[in-house]
Amino acid sequence: MLVTQLKPEEEVLAKISGKRLFIFGCLGCKELYFPKEEVAKFVDGLKEEITGRATLDYLCNREFVKAYIGEYSKEIEGAELVLVFSCGVGTQVVSALLEGKLVYTGCDTLYLNGFQGLSARNFNCDQCGQCYLNYTAGICPITNCPKGLLNGPCGGAKNGKCEVDPEADCAWVLIYKRLEKLGKLDTLTKILSPRDYSKNITEYLSQKEGVK
Amino acid sequence: MNETNLIDYTKFKLKPGEEIQEIFGTVAGIFIVYCNKCYKRFEREDKEEEHNKLLKILGKDAGKIVGQIGVDFLCNDFLSSKELLSLDLSDCDGVGVISCGIGVQFVAQLLEGKPVYALADSMQSANPTSGVAYHGISLEREKCAGCDQCYLNLTGGICPIVNCPKGLLNGPCGGAKNGKCEVNPNIDCVWGKIYERFEKQGGKLTLESVQIRDYSKPSLKLKKTLSLQNQNLRSEGFYGGLHPSEEKEQTKDKRLENFPEPEVAAIFLSQHTGKRAKPLVKVGDKVKVGQKIGEADGFVSVPIHSSISGKVISIEERIHPALNGKELAIIIKNDMENQLDSSIQPRKDFDSLSKENLLQIIKERGIVGLGGAMFPTHVKLSPPKKIDSLIVNGCECEPYLNSDNRIMIEHPGEVFTGIKIVQKILPVNKVFIAVEDNKPEAVASLSNLLNEPSNIEIVSLKTKYPQGAEKVLIKRILNRDVPEKGLPLDVGVVVLNVSTIFAIYQAVIEGIPLIQRAMTVSGESLSKPGNYLVKLGTLFKDIVRYCIGEEELPNKYELKVGGPIMGIPQLSLGSGVIKGMTGLTILEKHIVEVSEERDCIRCGRCVEACPMSLYPFYYAFYGKRGELEKAVKFKVENCIECGCCEVICSSKISILGFIKQEKKYARNSIKA
Repeated sequence: MLVTQLKPEEEVLAKISGKRLFIFGCLGCKELYFPKEEVAKFVDGLKEEITGRATLDYLCNREFVKAYIGEYSKEIEGAELVLVFSCGVGTQVVSALLEGKLVYTGCDTLYLNGFQGLSARNFNCDQCGQCYLNYTAGICPITNCPKGLLNGPCGGAKNGKCEVDPEADCAWVLIYKRLEKLGKLDTLTKILSPRDYSKNITEYLSQKEGVK
Repeated sequence: MNETNLIDYTKFKLKPGEEIQEIFGTVAGIFIVYCNKCYKRFEREDKEEEHNKLLKILGKDAGKIVGQIGVDFLCNDFLSSKELLSLDLSDCDGVGVISCGIGVQFVAQLLEGKPVYALADSMQSANPTSGVAYHGISLEREKCAGCDQCYLNLTGGICPIVNCPKGLLNGPCGGAKNGKCEVNPNIDCVWGKIYERFEKQGGKLTLESVQIRDYSKPSLKLKKTLSLQNQNLRSEGFYGGLHPSEEKEQTKDKRLENFPEPEVAAIFLSQHTGKRAKPLVKVGDKVKVGQKIGEADGFVSVPIHSSISGKVISIEERIHPALNGKELAIIIKNDMENQLDSSIQPRKDFDSLSKENLLQIIKERGIVGLGGAMFPTHVKLSPPKKIDSLIVNGCECEPYLNSDNRIMIEHPGEVFTGIKIVQKILPVNKVFIAVEDNKPEAVASLSNLLNEPSNIEIVSLKTKYPQGAEKVLIKRILNRDVPEKGLPLDVGVVVLNVSTIFAIYQAVIEGIPLIQRAMTVSGESLSKPGNYLVKLGTLFKDIVRYCIGEEELPNKYELKVGGPIMGIPQLSLGSGVIKGMTGLTILEKHIVEVSEERDCIRCGRCVEACPMSLYPFYYAFYGKRGELEKAVKFKVENCIECGCCEVICSSKISILGFIKQEKKYARNSIKA
């Protein structure tokens, strides 16, 4: 799940000052983080001429954006640039559909845990393509240890807390406890090979394409 | 949906055969949990696919599989834990999970003490070259890495982080040949594309300063705070639901005022659940205000009264605002004399009236549930089971509406008297008045009158849609689950809308039958939005003229009876106001309308929003294929039609349209 924040105002203003604008706004996956009010305040305070505004949900959906671009074609044509308030996906969709137009974003994007599934969850997955959970009692050291250590703790943990973030539990302490509970402490004797950063979906996709 | 733009967002694949065989070598019996996957075009049920692959890898070890289950959105911990904890896992010594890493971690935590094996590896989504890249909700080619320092403004809207294998920010690496990437010759060099895009836009690619990605962004702390905030908001009070934009400001402070007397009233004979009332008047008859013009036909039915004095000019079929199609209505021309029927006799109190008298009055005065369902109140107040709690529903969670709010603010005394009347009929231990916390004035107004100790409690609930739905409210306040296909009375509760309570007061004390109701007229482009006491039968035409100032509704607007979410779109301005109308909402039509045609991409948002813990996307899936009987298996009858799924649907599919068909099918198949 991507979360959107307003860029520093000066940064956006530097891009758009004195220009005629068309503004696309997204409602941010209908979640609560989209800075709707901040955007409204920022846009209301603009001195630039605004030829039109369209606000929709799921700006990342090409089909929806196409419909809006059709409806507002005059306003968009009359604008020197299109300013988009949405996550990086939404901005890229708009910019891909308006190739000959300057498209700028007013937002920065970050993501939340649990992005693969639904909205924010306690668990996160880094999609490393080489799942280690079988050696770590189902607790992921990649996403739960800031250092992503695979073969035990770094030695910096104090009282079971992480040295990078003292509010967080040391993932390896949790792993040890869970393994102890399962009676599988001997799992720790196996040394895990370093993470292979070249692992990705290429292989899978090429297989699939081969099928076609 | 345009197929060429859709991308395969497959998130995980089975682990290599040797690894799986190794795991199976260490166990005697294993239970397999499959995640049914998310973010993909949902066009067929391919639950078997992964299973068959697994069997092939296992060979004779396949006998060790003691059971299996497919779960939709395994990462949805609320629903999945219910599902998994109901399994009997006693005869296996391990659980194998085929899902992304989130699902595996969730199961491992849930089944602590049972070894959980990941049988799949998660993959970086879709883009063959990039580092970790995330997408939004749609299955588009464009991706975002969430780096919290967007460079798109410098690169013509093409992202170099996700599209350049090296994530270079200051121009190409120099390894590109003929515009192709040196890492993966099958793809274009993104910097070549960025250059072309700038050329097309008539500009020159000039990078203003050297860019260096700050990998400390976004900070862990910010992500954690936001995640937590999101989880808390989602799960607040009850599972599911939404926080739609409330839009109540427009009419929140507008006092209830009388809507001008209609010249003609169209009073439907069917303004309640149950059998239609039988007309008691004929064309040419003179009628007075409050005169009974339709007789209840059976126990689950109520009489209908005239809201004005005048002459019956026609009895004809008109388009009914809530029921599908035309219904019989009595058309009365107003003589503006406002003559009251002799049956309207106010009384000081209800002490001398017995429970039976009171029920009779409520029935005779035509009282029904005014929250929208229009169920006859006298039936609700004659439950066949023991009732211990009464919930007075003042949630009004639907956006735009304020009529219940205004009644609580302006008529708290009448509400309390109404509650006392109900308590005399139905002696309950406890009365809750449920109000959402976006109505502090209502809470204050009611609390002012609650000075002596009583069994009445005002509960201010954190605002969330659809809190006002009976079943949700009962769960929220009393933590009781109304059984499937059951009613609130099955768990000892009666829920009455606050407007119904007010109508009971008016019927018993003022002697006035249900001939007018409070409703909010609100929405976009209204010159006179407000909260009005409107005579039943008042034509929509008159309301549009009065509140917008136009004879006809402008083309780009649509009219909904009720609020924007559950409201029913209207086809005709010739319809008249009925008892269950909480408001009229006038909204601009959206450019992208909900459609029955679009494909589901299994984003799972409807599942997350459904307060009844259902899986709404299946209703669209089976509805589109005409396999209504399969939707019944997914408990479509439990749907309360709150519309959360349709509101949040990332493909804008008319889920509710399918649900209504399927519920109808389910009802008919029970009869047959």
